[in-house]
Amino acid sequence: MKIMCLVKFTPDVENFIYDYEKNVLVRENVRMILNPDDASALAFALKIKNRRPETSIEIITMAPQSVIPHMEDLLRLKVDKATLISDKLYVGSDTYITSRILGKYLSSVAYDCILTGTGAMDGDTSHVPSQLGELLNICQMSNVVEIEEETFGSESAVIEVDEERNFAKYKICMPAILSLQKVRNYKLPYIKYEDLERNVKDQITIIDNETLGFESNQVGISGSLTQVSGTFVKIMEKKDKRVVRNDSEGINTVYQFLRDKGFV
Amino acid sequence: MKKSLIYIEQNHFQNSMDLLEVVRQVYDAEEYETYGVSFGASCDEAEGLFDYLIEVPDQRIRSYDVINMTNVLEELQGFYHFDSILFPATQLGRMLAPRTAMRLHVGLVADVTAIRHKNGFVEMVRPAFSGKIMAGIVNRNRVPLMMSVRQNVFSYQGASQKQTEKIKYSPIRIEDRKIELIEVREKEKTRDIRESEILISGGGGTGRYFPKLKHLADELNAQVSASRKTVDSGTAPRSMQVGQSGKTVSTKLYMALGISGSLQHMEGLKNVENIVSVNTNRDAPICSRSDIVVEGDAEEFIERLTDKIKWEKQSRE
Repeated sequence: MKIMCLVKFTPDVENFIYDYEKNVLVRENVRMILNPDDASALAFALKIKNRRPETSIEIITMAPQSVIPHMEDLLRLKVDKATLISDKLYVGSDTYITSRILGKYLSSVAYDCILTGTGAMDGDTSHVPSQLGELLNICQMSNVVEIEEETFGSESAVIEVDEERNFAKYKICMPAILSLQKVRNYKLPYIKYEDLERNVKDQITIIDNETLGFESNQVGISGSLTQVSGTFVKIMEKKDKRVVRNDSEGINTVYQFLRDKGFV
Repeated sequence: MKKSLIYIEQNHFQNSMDLLEVVRQVYDAEEYETYGVSFGASCDEAEGLFDYLIEVPDQRIRSYDVINMTNVLEELQGFYHFDSILFPATQLGRMLAPRTAMRLHVGLVADVTAIRHKNGFVEMVRPAFSGKIMAGIVNRNRVPLMMSVRQNVFSYQGASQKQTEKIKYSPIRIEDRKIELIEVREKEKTRDIRESEILISGGGGTGRYFPKLKHLADELNAQVSASRKTVDSGTAPRSMQVGQSGKTVSTKLYMALGISGSLQHMEGLKNVENIVSVNTNRDAPICSRSDIVVEGDAEEFIERLTDKIKWEKQSRE
């Protein structure tokens, strides 16, 4: 069985710092991490491979070549192959174009399932998995929290989906695109000690536009159908806060506030 | 005359109606007509709010069958030539919108939280980087304009006085269904935190005594909510999570216990009226947005304030 894992490396946005005095976001020196939802998807794939060693896993990412060290770390987790789709022409592509680029590669290869994350920490549009579903003419489901392992690999898989108010169970035809949510039961393992320095360079394939063959005006910023017209950091409203201590006087102040506002 | 189509999701009826406000802001002074489309059951509650309601009563199309729903939307676009199509950013809306946009070869903006007009273009504002940055996005002149809209941000105040024309649509192309719903399991019976007027919210600082928040919440007839850290550590379920990756709440009072107030958290609080925060660090980001900051340990605070409220209640009886 061949599993494709679509992953993305994002800045670790949790560590952005907001400077309230200057009203700016400090974005410098933020490290790149594997997008958490994607990590769950890969963790599930590795779980399957562990049970059925004949499984082959390919990770695919579209990024600048600077992500190669991160891809190498994933290969050291017993991923079979890594494909990096990278070309200067692709820089600035919106979700529509990104899906077209990834779709062109994916439609040229054989697979039994595509696993990915529901949302990415940076853009968080969740567009690409659904748009790829359309391009490849297969089902796609977001916020998958569990895949029944014994059904995975047959004609249709049974999956559990977090639908805000409910959990729903579906039977979905394969191949499909399953977008996982970050869940605790699918956690990436650590790299084994003996694999830490393993040379995995020959398992990486870089695919550029020479292979995929888009016209330069079809991709990147010029090909995109949406355009960022500006970004801004939200001005956080500052209140005239009162600071009290955690003593009976402080508690009285809080209680009086609750009374004045009609909460008690 | 502009034409706008809104995808009405039965399970998120109010959020779907609120998209009428977005349409109003998009077209501003221009004349426009609104169309609503719903799959499965008819949506009589929407009568009077839309100019046209399109119902697709075909039993073969289940309300989760995104591929066939996309087929229908494509057919409708062919007939009516809408200038814009809007979706509530629900689980389903966020899968249906991208598929439809790809089918119609147009751009799509996700999770819109504000509409602005800039040099004759409609600028759609959305959070990025977990709400740490807001991005304005314009569509490159392709029709229809498509977006999914963040839940609970817009609110439609218009009266229902339109002469709604109902249309029953029979789809031309229906494919074999590739997905089947087996069962739906309700999540544990807690009220939605978005429906609460008061939230007692616990952050990473509350850790092991998170269950105690319930004591204070009970006294205030409030509900317990949580930060991302608390949810990620497994202490609270995801349905309780406030913030960009959780829920946007519009409570009257928000008590933040041991919550530092990351930007992604504050994004979920933009409609909150009053904030009381308890934190060992009086300079934590949330404190700048608070009415009162209690400097100290949240566990102790819970006990003290709970006792105080109980005592005051008794002495007034």
